[in-house]
Amino acid sequence: MGAAGYVPETVVDNAFFGVDLKGATSGMFKGSKERRHVAPGEGGAVMIEKAARTLQGRLGFSFEKEVDLILTNVSCPDSPFTGCGASVARTLGCKPKWVLDLHNTGCVAFVYMIGVARELMASGAIKSALLCCAQTAAGRVFSHAENRVRPQSSVPGDGCGVGYVVANDESPVRGFVQRSYGEYADDMRVITDEGASWWEPHRTSVYIDFTESKIAKIVGRGNALVPTMVTEACKAAEVAIKDIDLLVTNQPNAVFLRNWREALTVPKEKQVETFEEYGNLFGAAIPINIERAAEQGRLKKGSRVALGGFAHAGDYAAAAIWNV
Amino acid sequence: MTALVEDINSIPGVRRIENFPKDDMNALALDLTHAVYPHEEIYGKYCSLEEHIECPPEEVFRYLADVRTLEEWTYSLRDFVPASDGAVVATDKIGGTTKCYTRVASNEAAMTVDYHCAWDQGDKLWMIYLMRVIPAQLVLNRTGSVVLWTNCRHPFYDQNPYPAKAPAGRKVWVGDLWPFFYAGHHVEFQNLKHILEHRHAKGLPVIPEHLGTIGSVKKS
Repeated sequence: MGAAGYVPETVVDNAFFGVDLKGATSGMFKGSKERRHVAPGEGGAVMIEKAARTLQGRLGFSFEKEVDLILTNVSCPDSPFTGCGASVARTLGCKPKWVLDLHNTGCVAFVYMIGVARELMASGAIKSALLCCAQTAAGRVFSHAENRVRPQSSVPGDGCGVGYVVANDESPVRGFVQRSYGEYADDMRVITDEGASWWEPHRTSVYIDFTESKIAKIVGRGNALVPTMVTEACKAAEVAIKDIDLLVTNQPNAVFLRNWREALTVPKEKQVETFEEYGNLFGAAIPINIERAAEQGRLKKGSRVALGGFAHAGDYAAAAIWNV
Repeated sequence: MTALVEDINSIPGVRRIENFPKDDMNALALDLTHAVYPHEEIYGKYCSLEEHIECPPEEVFRYLADVRTLEEWTYSLRDFVPASDGAVVATDKIGGTTKCYTRVASNEAAMTVDYHCAWDQGDKLWMIYLMRVIPAQLVLNRTGSVVLWTNCRHPFYDQNPYPAKAPAGRKVWVGDLWPFFYAGHHVEFQNLKHILEHRHAKGLPVIPEHLGTIGSVKKS
């Protein structure tokens, strides 16, 4: 497995939000120092293409012959209904047997993609897969003038991470675990202040709303979900938590990153994250952080990398152990 | 006596040195001692906090036992007025215009102060905050007081039993905040500590005159 990332050129600092971010110095909406925003017209498919070409340049596989499966997740989709997988296949010149949009799994999409690819590999249906996660919501949703002042708006940052996996024994992913929690499905919604649904004509911007009365519970379940899943993945992969070399998760905010590390008793130097620089990258965080670890020389042959995360308000969670 | 001990040792789940050897006890202790504990495990069913306050235990007790002082050290209980049966009613501003009913049950000899409270109605005061003041000299060999504070997760925290009594349009329910109760209580406990330590250090009365009587609380 390999991963490469792409982040948009537009760097957005905290002054952009035009509000005193001191009020948001802690908790769910503690902001990063900087983040990137997609430019108008710079969609998920465009970022995926750039990251995929970087990755192909490094690994040298054939887009045409060695991509049997394309999986995509774009947080704020380029277009409703279709997903962008077919478009990605066209621009890259891939002839995949399967194209799937994994829109539902949000911030933990990359780990789900590994799980889906594994299943299709195990069944013999495919031998290789391109796993594409693009986060576009920062520029597309949270940069709107009326959204900027919301405490949540400085947290997301755009970017894209693409992974490539092949069916062999060279650097196996083991102990994949995933779970969905229907009871948490409606605790995160996309709304407008005027009450219109996103597909209805409306004057004001849509934004993401976490049910106010559930914030404490969402924080509590987020704190517990990721360490629980990583612990289960370690057990399934027969790796002791103390033997994890790197911890790579999604990065909703600095508090979750701290709490997950603490809960797993993983020291800070084993955690890979880019929150201060890129903010909440949603599904793109994990592949971008894998690339970061490689760039920093922290990803070595034989490293045991724990991958984990949860989505939205806790409706999906997954983890796996990657033996580099 | 022997017969009694044998009876106790035969009760399932009872572990005593007579029926649970030291080696087994050591192994169990090792197993039960973790590096970290999930928040839910520590604060899920009970929320217990403890703090040292540099103020004499009698004064701390007197302060806590006076219901008016909740206006000072709680985060959001304000505007106390008398209710029936010796209870008081305040506005819990964390819930907008939510009314919070409180009755204090204190025991001077034991230095315990229990606040029996409820949101929205005063008929069943089910939110019970149990506090105990201990002379720090006894337990920590230092001046001041140790205060223990425990709150139990009554099932009503998970399910508002009187939804019809809530102010119209209120979105929050006190029990939805349970995962933040440690944090909320910690902040209030620090308020209590800072207020009492400040007054004690400056030689001020711990219960200020301006608190007056319920219903005539002066704004400072």
